[in-house]
Amino acid sequence: MEAELVLASSPTDAGISCWDLRSGTEHLRFRSCSSPAHGLTSVAGRFLASSQLRDSKSSSGSIFYWSWNKPQPEVKSFPAEPINALASNCEGTYIVGGSVSGEIYLWEVATGRLLKRWHAHYRAVTCLVFSDDQFLLISGAEDGSVRVWSLLMIFDDQRREEAKYLYEYSFSEHTLKVTDVAAGYGGCNAIIVSSSEDRTCKVWSLSRGKLLRNIVFPSIIDAVVLDPGEHVFYAGGRDGNIYIAALNAQVNSSSNYGFHIIGSLSEHNKAITCLGLSMDGYLLVSGSEDGMVRVWDTRTRNIFRVFRHAKGPVNNVLVIRQPSHCNPRTSMNFQAFSSRRHVLPSPLEKYSYSHDDNIDTKACINCQTYNNIADVPNISFQTMQNQIKELQQQGSSAATEMEMERLKLECKRSMQMVQQWKKMYENLHQFCVSELLDGNEHESASRHNM
Amino acid sequence: MAASNHIPGMYGGALKPQLLRSLLREYIPDEKHSFRNPSDLSHVVSAVKTHRLLWEWAPSSTDQKLSDGWKSAVDAWVNRVSALASSSMPDKSWAGICLLGLTSQECSSERFLASYSEWFNKILSHMQPPSDSHFVRVASCASMSDLFTRLGGFPNAKKDGNSQASKLIQPVLKLLNEDSSDAFWEEAISLLCTLTNVFPASVSRHYDSVESSIFSKFMSENCPVSIFKKLAHGLALLPKSRGDEDSWSLMMQKVLIFINNQLNVMFQGLEEEARSSEVVRLLLPPGKDPPPPLGGLTASAKNSDQAMKRPEQVLVSRVSTLMTCCCTMLTDAYPVQVSVPVRSLVALVKRVLMVDGSFSQSSPFMTAMRQDLICLELPELHRCSLELLSSIVKGLRSQLLPHVADITRLLTEYFRTCALPELRIKVYSIMKVLLMSMGIGIAIYLIQEVISNALLDLDPHGRESGGSYSAARSKTLQDALQQCFQRKRKHPTSAESVGDQSAKGGLEVETSQNMTAISVRIAALEALEALLSVAGAMRSDGWRSNIDRLLITVATNACKVGWADNNSTVVYGEATPIWADFQLAALRALLASLLSPGRVRPPHLAQGLELFHRGSRESGTKISEYCCHALLTLEVLIHPRALPFIDLQSAVDHYGSASLNLPDVHFADHRKNTSFHFSTLGKEPSQPESGDDDLYERWLANGDETDVNDLGKYTSSDKKPSGTSTHPALEKLPHGGSPSERNKREGGEFGESMAVAADKVPVDGDEIMVDLPTPESYKQTEERDHIEGRMLVATAGGHTATESDGLVSGSATSADGHTDFVVAAGKDVSSSASKRNTMVTEQRRGAGLVLEINDDTSMDSLPDIVDGDPDSD
Repeated sequence: MEAELVLASSPTDAGISCWDLRSGTEHLRFRSCSSPAHGLTSVAGRFLASSQLRDSKSSSGSIFYWSWNKPQPEVKSFPAEPINALASNCEGTYIVGGSVSGEIYLWEVATGRLLKRWHAHYRAVTCLVFSDDQFLLISGAEDGSVRVWSLLMIFDDQRREEAKYLYEYSFSEHTLKVTDVAAGYGGCNAIIVSSSEDRTCKVWSLSRGKLLRNIVFPSIIDAVVLDPGEHVFYAGGRDGNIYIAALNAQVNSSSNYGFHIIGSLSEHNKAITCLGLSMDGYLLVSGSEDGMVRVWDTRTRNIFRVFRHAKGPVNNVLVIRQPSHCNPRTSMNFQAFSSRRHVLPSPLEKYSYSHDDNIDTKACINCQTYNNIADVPNISFQTMQNQIKELQQQGSSAATEMEMERLKLECKRSMQMVQQWKKMYENLHQFCVSELLDGNEHESASRHNM
Repeated sequence: MAASNHIPGMYGGALKPQLLRSLLREYIPDEKHSFRNPSDLSHVVSAVKTHRLLWEWAPSSTDQKLSDGWKSAVDAWVNRVSALASSSMPDKSWAGICLLGLTSQECSSERFLASYSEWFNKILSHMQPPSDSHFVRVASCASMSDLFTRLGGFPNAKKDGNSQASKLIQPVLKLLNEDSSDAFWEEAISLLCTLTNVFPASVSRHYDSVESSIFSKFMSENCPVSIFKKLAHGLALLPKSRGDEDSWSLMMQKVLIFINNQLNVMFQGLEEEARSSEVVRLLLPPGKDPPPPLGGLTASAKNSDQAMKRPEQVLVSRVSTLMTCCCTMLTDAYPVQVSVPVRSLVALVKRVLMVDGSFSQSSPFMTAMRQDLICLELPELHRCSLELLSSIVKGLRSQLLPHVADITRLLTEYFRTCALPELRIKVYSIMKVLLMSMGIGIAIYLIQEVISNALLDLDPHGRESGGSYSAARSKTLQDALQQCFQRKRKHPTSAESVGDQSAKGGLEVETSQNMTAISVRIAALEALEALLSVAGAMRSDGWRSNIDRLLITVATNACKVGWADNNSTVVYGEATPIWADFQLAALRALLASLLSPGRVRPPHLAQGLELFHRGSRESGTKISEYCCHALLTLEVLIHPRALPFIDLQSAVDHYGSASLNLPDVHFADHRKNTSFHFSTLGKEPSQPESGDDDLYERWLANGDETDVNDLGKYTSSDKKPSGTSTHPALEKLPHGGSPSERNKREGGEFGESMAVAADKVPVDGDEIMVDLPTPESYKQTEERDHIEGRMLVATAGGHTATESDGLVSGSATSADGHTDFVVAAGKDVSSSASKRNTMVTEQRRGAGLVLEINDDTSMDSLPDIVDGDPDSD
């Protein structure tokens, strides 16, 4: 099974901890990070990015990048205002940040350019997620609204002017601050689950833009995570329970918590602030205000592992696939490749400069596909076949030329042969003649003797 | 002794040396014997490849004798081949070189590493002297390139390989510049490409001269069009030899400027000046120096005047070849990030696509004859620029986002005028790629365009081919749209007649359609398939039913004439789409239409199933393969599943015995380690709530539940007082009560109830949506909810209460295990209540009210009313 990492960060300056989910070994701890909730993201597994909580005096915000092998933040950017929520699409092309004033910023990672900035909410943006096809952005805010943005629309100046609203949907049924949003699979038929301080979680249909289900919880829910099969979703409450709410699952009427809530996981004494799920959906990772990160087996509902992050509260956990170069076994092969690739990109710009409209997209062309030399076809066989065909048909000049050359050489050799034979014949002749003469002489001599 | 031993067959390693020796003896010429037949050689090569005779690998257990024998056999082989290669007879040295190429692919690594440099020199000697025949030189290029491909697989040999390879560049370039045969140029370019791929450092030293050689070959008069493609490929690969950002960008810029200049010449008088200058402006922002011309200054100066002399056809094939070069650059992997001039690429594509061959009379450059010549070649240019566009989409993926709007606008604009089948296919395929890669976001843009064009191309009434495309198009489109809206307002019964009619009309036309039309229709079907799979439920009110109907009609018609066998195409080699491909495409689109989520149950499910069933019987064909897959997929639609989250009972055994990849270790840990166990509200972890197979239970309880369930449905969707008389109609849909319909987010149950209702009363779904949420009906409905709630409580309690007496008494008495029944009914009540809750919720949203039944301590609670924001949409 592919190794997965658990990352945790907190609002106090406790850095980012990093553990292997299954073996439990701790990896490098990244320093100088005090992140707001939903402010930590892994940019396509290439590096880590986190927005930073700063003292209220400074007007600008800050976003730090860490590469996987260095504890200190390597790139620091200072956007125009403090950023709360941070997200990047799965290819790592764009980073979006939601600010305290309700603006959403969209940067291109490779160049750091601020491509778009738009006023999304009346109050601070609390969470941002990409839909499963990466072309819709879903934002939740303190004003209680959840909005769905089509990135294509954001970039299409012409349509934007025609359209009444910039957003595709705006869900405003939550009465208080939206604390978390999760989006499911299924393209246009996906669902969105949002949690709020009004003690409800709401399930929305993306295709129709409607509320599908409203679930009232015994406590405020600060984090939601969807089971990959969307059988249930998990909701982390401020009372320290992780509630399991049914999506497709069967609902028992005997639940003590409320309709649609089919159970809970509880161990934390303090509020659950964030949740994550392993790729197979069986291990649930929860971060709590007591500074612990707990891993649950969702099948047995038991705790599988406990990590200690810090004394202070944890407010972000991420479960990500282990980056290839983190693994010592594979890093050797990729060294040449990665040394060039893992230079961190330039910092994010503060303002968008309208005059550089002409700057080209900095693109990574198929960096992911790794050329395998074994795939290169052997051409000599093919060439030989063609040539044989040519020879057999004797049509082409090249074939004729070769044939002619061959015949020439053969002719030459035959001539040599002839010469040789001639010579041999002559020799033999000579020999015979001399022999004959000698014999005659001999004969006559012997006769003479007699 | 040998006779008593077992003599190994062809799988035993022992036989291989023997086989090799016999090949050597029988077929390979030597100094004395000459060739009997050149085809012997290909026999030898395939025999060696099939049996891996040069592999020299034996499992370690086998004896030393075998490996020695094999080694000596291969030694003999190598000696013979080397001798042949250095023979003075051209045919023998040709054979030797071919076999040397084979040997360098097939021999063991040790042998290769030991002797590659010797082989290299042997082959190189044949490439240099002018005395050798072309034939031998072509073979040496091919063998050389195989040798380097193999060498590239050894990381330790990198350095040596590079130095050897750089020795090769000069001779190859020299040969390339000489006049020679086409075949030779082709091989020389392939060799250069191989070197660039495998040993980039060797080529980078000669970067400029390689570029200029390729370019001057490309521009030279005697260069045949057939090797243009190879040359462009070589040019596209060239930046890889340096592997940095600048060389890539520079090459791209040079190529684009060159293309643009050529287009300037060609399009004189056919377009406004502004178009050309726009591309230039984007390529070269003011104040920036232009790069040196492609191929270097001298090469381009030499060629510039003769370049223009050649006929249009060659000009066009040059431009299109360079566009292919751009495609390769965009889609081939490149080691570093590069900045892609997306805007200028798109502008260039736009420039070409906007030229349709018409010109203003006032233009001084244009004559009718030139126009003819250009128009003959335009489709090829359009094809290449569409290809370029599709490469942009493929190469940049999500990075294209800021430019997608421009591209879709360009595509839709072009699609309106584009009439040539080949080009339409291309546009469809680009749209398909866009839909697949960008999902819902792009679907919102493209729905209209894909649908209207597909309606046109798939129109079963047929159309006259040729010129009147746009006229036919607008007419058909209007008809289609009109029909669509009329049908919406009328009853769905009209669908049948339309289907019949088109089926009748369609068959005659289709049999007479030619091949190109089929391929366009295949492309249209593929685009529809992509659209349905990405955005079937998106804003689907207007178009879904129409498209569903179209697809079932197309599929039925396609399959009516019997099943074509698509294996027959192989004989002709050429991959022309044939009837079987069309059938397959139709079936694929049909499956997408059946599976794609909609508001109602797929209306043509039965017909579709029948088609797939018939198709699956055509065993051995692609169609049957696909039909089997379709039936498997549709099975879930027929028997919706709500399987338990985890089957704990069997899970323990299963993971314990068969060590799958699942983390069974943790699992075992946890079952032992009870100290960590925190029971959740009296529930043992071994009995999670969802642990039972409720599907099975539901099947058992089926007879009981339909009454209650269907009653709930019926009343909630139709306000007529329900009675037992409705049951026969409802029982036609046995899956009506199956569990996964509780899946609220699909809105499936609403559609379900509509479908049920539609059986009785011909009402369309939209009307229900309009009808129910009116404020007048609200109170009434609430009251009914209330009553029903009570009724259901009564059922759950196991009493036969008066209200529900007539409806559920039958089931109550028939249940022999009384408690079982109560449980089943209780579940059922909760599910139907929740179902109703959702429906009501959806219906009331228009009125700004959200109903919420807090249904925990059963159904006696009244629905909560939560205020929602009215202007939320």
